[in-house]
Amino acid sequence: MRLSWVRALPRGLWGSPGVPELCRSLCQRPARAPTERGDTAGTPKPRGPQRRHPTEGDTARGDTPRGDGDTARGDTPRGDGDTARGAASAWHRHFQEIRDKERGPEPRDHRRGHLGGDTSWGGTSRGDTFRDDTFKGDTSSSPPPHHRSHQHHDDSHQQDPRDGDPSEPGSPRRGPAAFEAALRAMERWPPGRGGRLALVEAALAAMEALGVERSVAAYNALLRLLPRGPWVPRGPVQRLLFPFPRQQECGLQLLEQMERYGVIPDAETRFLLLGVFGPRSRPLRKVQRMMFWLPRFRHLDPHPLPPQPTRPGLAAARLGLHRMAGDPGATVTVIQPPVPDTGDDEGSVQPYIVSSQSPEQRELLAQHDPARAVFVEGPFPLWLRGTLLKYFVLRGDPLPPHLRDPPPDPERSFYFPLELQLELERGPWDDEEFDVDEVEEGPVFALCVPGAGDRRTLARWISALQEQNPILGRAPVVFRLNEGGADPREGPQTPRLGTGTPPGAGLEPPEEGERGGEPRKNNGE
Amino acid sequence: MAVASPSRARHGQHGRSTKPSEGRAAWWRCCRAERGTGGRAAVPPSRARDRRHKQEFFPYPEISNEELAEINEFVGPVEKFFNEEVDSKKIDQDAKIPPETLQGLKDLGLFGIYCTPILLYLKWICLGGRGGLGLSNTMYARLGEITSLDGSIAVTLAAHQAIGLKGILIAGTEEQKAKYLPRLASGEHIAAFCLTEPGSGSDAASIQTRATLSEDGKHFLLNGSKVWISNGGLASIFTVFARTEVVDKDGQVKDKITAFIVERDFGGVTHGKPEDKLGIRGSNTCEVHFENTKVPIENVIGEVGGGFKVAMNILNSGRFSMGSASAGMIKKLIELTSEYACTRKQFNKKLSQFGLIQEKFCLMAVKAYVMESMAYLTAGMMDRPGFPDCSVEAAMVKVFSSEGAWACVSEALQILGGLGYMKDYPYERYLRDTRILLIFEGTNEILRMYIALTGMQHAGKILTEKIKYKGNMGVALGEFLTRLQDTLGRKVDLGLIGDRGVVHPSLQESAKKLEENVYYFGSTVRGLLSRFGKTIVEEQLVLKRVADVVINLYAMTAAISRASRSISIGLRNHDHEVLLTNIFCTEAYFKNNYAMAQLEKYADENLDDSIKKAAKQILEKRAYICSHPLDKTF
Repeated sequence: MRLSWVRALPRGLWGSPGVPELCRSLCQRPARAPTERGDTAGTPKPRGPQRRHPTEGDTARGDTPRGDGDTARGDTPRGDGDTARGAASAWHRHFQEIRDKERGPEPRDHRRGHLGGDTSWGGTSRGDTFRDDTFKGDTSSSPPPHHRSHQHHDDSHQQDPRDGDPSEPGSPRRGPAAFEAALRAMERWPPGRGGRLALVEAALAAMEALGVERSVAAYNALLRLLPRGPWVPRGPVQRLLFPFPRQQECGLQLLEQMERYGVIPDAETRFLLLGVFGPRSRPLRKVQRMMFWLPRFRHLDPHPLPPQPTRPGLAAARLGLHRMAGDPGATVTVIQPPVPDTGDDEGSVQPYIVSSQSPEQRELLAQHDPARAVFVEGPFPLWLRGTLLKYFVLRGDPLPPHLRDPPPDPERSFYFPLELQLELERGPWDDEEFDVDEVEEGPVFALCVPGAGDRRTLARWISALQEQNPILGRAPVVFRLNEGGADPREGPQTPRLGTGTPPGAGLEPPEEGERGGEPRKNNGE
Repeated sequence: MAVASPSRARHGQHGRSTKPSEGRAAWWRCCRAERGTGGRAAVPPSRARDRRHKQEFFPYPEISNEELAEINEFVGPVEKFFNEEVDSKKIDQDAKIPPETLQGLKDLGLFGIYCTPILLYLKWICLGGRGGLGLSNTMYARLGEITSLDGSIAVTLAAHQAIGLKGILIAGTEEQKAKYLPRLASGEHIAAFCLTEPGSGSDAASIQTRATLSEDGKHFLLNGSKVWISNGGLASIFTVFARTEVVDKDGQVKDKITAFIVERDFGGVTHGKPEDKLGIRGSNTCEVHFENTKVPIENVIGEVGGGFKVAMNILNSGRFSMGSASAGMIKKLIELTSEYACTRKQFNKKLSQFGLIQEKFCLMAVKAYVMESMAYLTAGMMDRPGFPDCSVEAAMVKVFSSEGAWACVSEALQILGGLGYMKDYPYERYLRDTRILLIFEGTNEILRMYIALTGMQHAGKILTEKIKYKGNMGVALGEFLTRLQDTLGRKVDLGLIGDRGVVHPSLQESAKKLEENVYYFGSTVRGLLSRFGKTIVEEQLVLKRVADVVINLYAMTAAISRASRSISIGLRNHDHEVLLTNIFCTEAYFKNNYAMAQLEKYADENLDDSIKKAAKQILEKRAYICSHPLDKTF
């Protein structure tokens, strides 16, 4: 048993503050296990892969600041660190570019810090969001050397900000096929050239961009990149002493990402983790808990969104309206498509208008007193996962109390009395209503998600509603825009048509008086 | 015969109320007599009044020998006709009553049974009119027993006279009666009742048919369409309800419902093709459209804008006959199935020797007995002079008998096994025909609300009067004392049994149960009213239980009253009647106790909350939302 050396330690050490570091350094010593595949056998060099190259060294320092004298020996491995850098960081960068392009420079996923914190080359790829790479083209060739990675930044696939959803089917840049191709290429890289942890981390960050963040098979494939055996603690004491922290952190990070996306690990995930980290290790504990809880939480959301993230556009607008207007009888209509089908403007771009109105709302609107105004209010924010939509409501003022509850008609029900003539009220024990201070709100007559929030678009919406609600022609329509919910940073500006989040409409000076009910002449139709 | 005797009158009774609306809910008057305990100081007790309540149910109403002879004389040929000439199977298959059968019914005078008031009868004779027999409600109930052997004919007749011409009968002017009733009573003209519309069932506000006054002020122009009109294709006289503009007292123009007599000859009346139905296939049900039909102003029933009351009265008065009709059908079924059960052998034993089969026969007999008792008790009460309002009782009869009939037919089919399912035999037709009973003339759910709310309204008035009179503290104290007494065990005695009782001693166990139930029901209702007040209208689950208890109480009363009379005058097989009554009363007693125990609980304890919640979740998704048992999450 390898425990014998413990006895040699001075007694005072067990309690001293230096112990954890010592233990950690001891445990991270080469735990070379005789493994069957050269691929894994070669990986763990006496130094952990994180100590190989300076960038990773940085991260290691960032994560475990009390690393085992990394700074002291920082220079020594630099020689072979170069090759490792060429290997790992090319892919690394590759993944990162993919991610950056999709995501923009938000640091949301930079949980480990080393991807975002690595400023040596991060600046080149971050920021120029229009750069794209032919990912698939790479995959057939050998792993790209350092200089080639820039070569692939061609502008041919420049992402058009106007097209609503860049993930057209068969796109080479996204999807499980692209991811698999990348992994295959990675496997071809000479084994043992290290950087596996960094690779996995980079790949994790890029998964969303590749569109595989919800596939358990992708995570399993990533786990297969990790060596089986060498990170398994060798005995009870090593297991006790927080073994292979950085490696295990990597496994945990992978699991956390799965958790974040609601991916339920399967038996294979557990099996792979078992091979990599051994039984009762932290990743294994976590995966077991996840396998216990995640299936139970899977259907927790009573109003689930579709698994694929929605991009702002017609589909998202429909989805948002369906979610907001819960009435199954509500009809969601596209009043104005983003691209007109007919007419002179065919092919041009105009803001879409999607409207929702239920029969009940129509009835309410029909009962509205035309002498009193109806209001178009908005924009209000609506988040569908990460997508922000802006919606507008058509509403009336709260009814005056004497109109709210019309006196019950005694000649209403042929068969039974609808009310009793009693002076007895409900007793306190059967009063199940909570004491709630209710905010008085007027009825909402219709909802709309337009492509642009300017008055012209909204007026078009109102005039389209008028077909089914003739009362809108008689009642004054007042536009109360940019109150409550509009982003104050967005001033009045020309709408970017059809893309992105519709900007909050500025409170424009009234164009043609306050009556917006009439169809406009110059609305481009 | 049990003699109606003055009660102990230890129960307080509130002051005489003179409003005619209080004439309804006779049963409630009985209940509330008991509820007034402890109110002696509050309201002067009235022995006479208390006795009157009991007198409404005890003794069981009787008819004179002459009337009985008259009825029997009339029933004989009808029974013969139904047994020999009516081919129910063919009617069901062809979905049409053949004209010769229809003519036979007319010849028998069945289309005019219900032209009740004797005065009218005499008048027709004076007018030289032919037709109407002018028989009583009892007679109508008796004939319903026979006509129910064929559901289609029963519905055709009921649609003609129970609702079709009833409007003219109860609210028409003398001219209208003289003009229309003779020909309707003779069957020359058939009547139909047009209320239901595509968007309007029991809600008067959604009636769309409109009648507009012509410029000369002599005609109404009727426009609109009605659906599911029984006899719609056969009828030549329609009672139509339509919206008219009426100037209010305060000068506002309002839409109100008005009833019209519309002849087919007025023009513009069309009907759709007969609907294909599950049961009562021979009856004619179709859409009726009115297009600029010119209705003279004399043909308004009642007054312009008074159609709502007319409709309510028509609907409320016609229901009691369903009790006797269902009983007649069940009696026939018992004959048919017992024949089968006594001949078919399994395991060397006749079916009739198996306990589970015997149970079914007992159930059928009990139900038939009770609904018959209820129907004739109600008919007898309605035949009393002074047009007593028995709409609550009629509704109770309807609910009890329709549900009983459905249960009995189902049990009969169960006895017959696979045989009952075959089209070669009449049983499946009975099953199909019976299903409509739960639905038409006001669905049972709606009628339960009617029964419970009408009673609650009445009970609530008494309670509020008491509170007004005594002040809150007094009532609270009285309530507390009563409760205390109840928990310590109160001996309930309402004077049904004992020395001066009205019930035969061999039924005293049942009568005691009835008394106990009535007493505790009184306190339950009082509790409900003080808990919910007027918001009880919203508590439909509570009201349903209340209605169930009331129906059971009325059924128990009717059965005890009838059995008591049978023993007293020594009718044949009266011991069997006692047996059936005791069986029913014991069962109903336990059911009532269960319902009342639930009523005393709060919504989270008696499952009401959970029931509502489950329904809400289902209706939100408009689907059954449970996962499939084979579904997995991992």
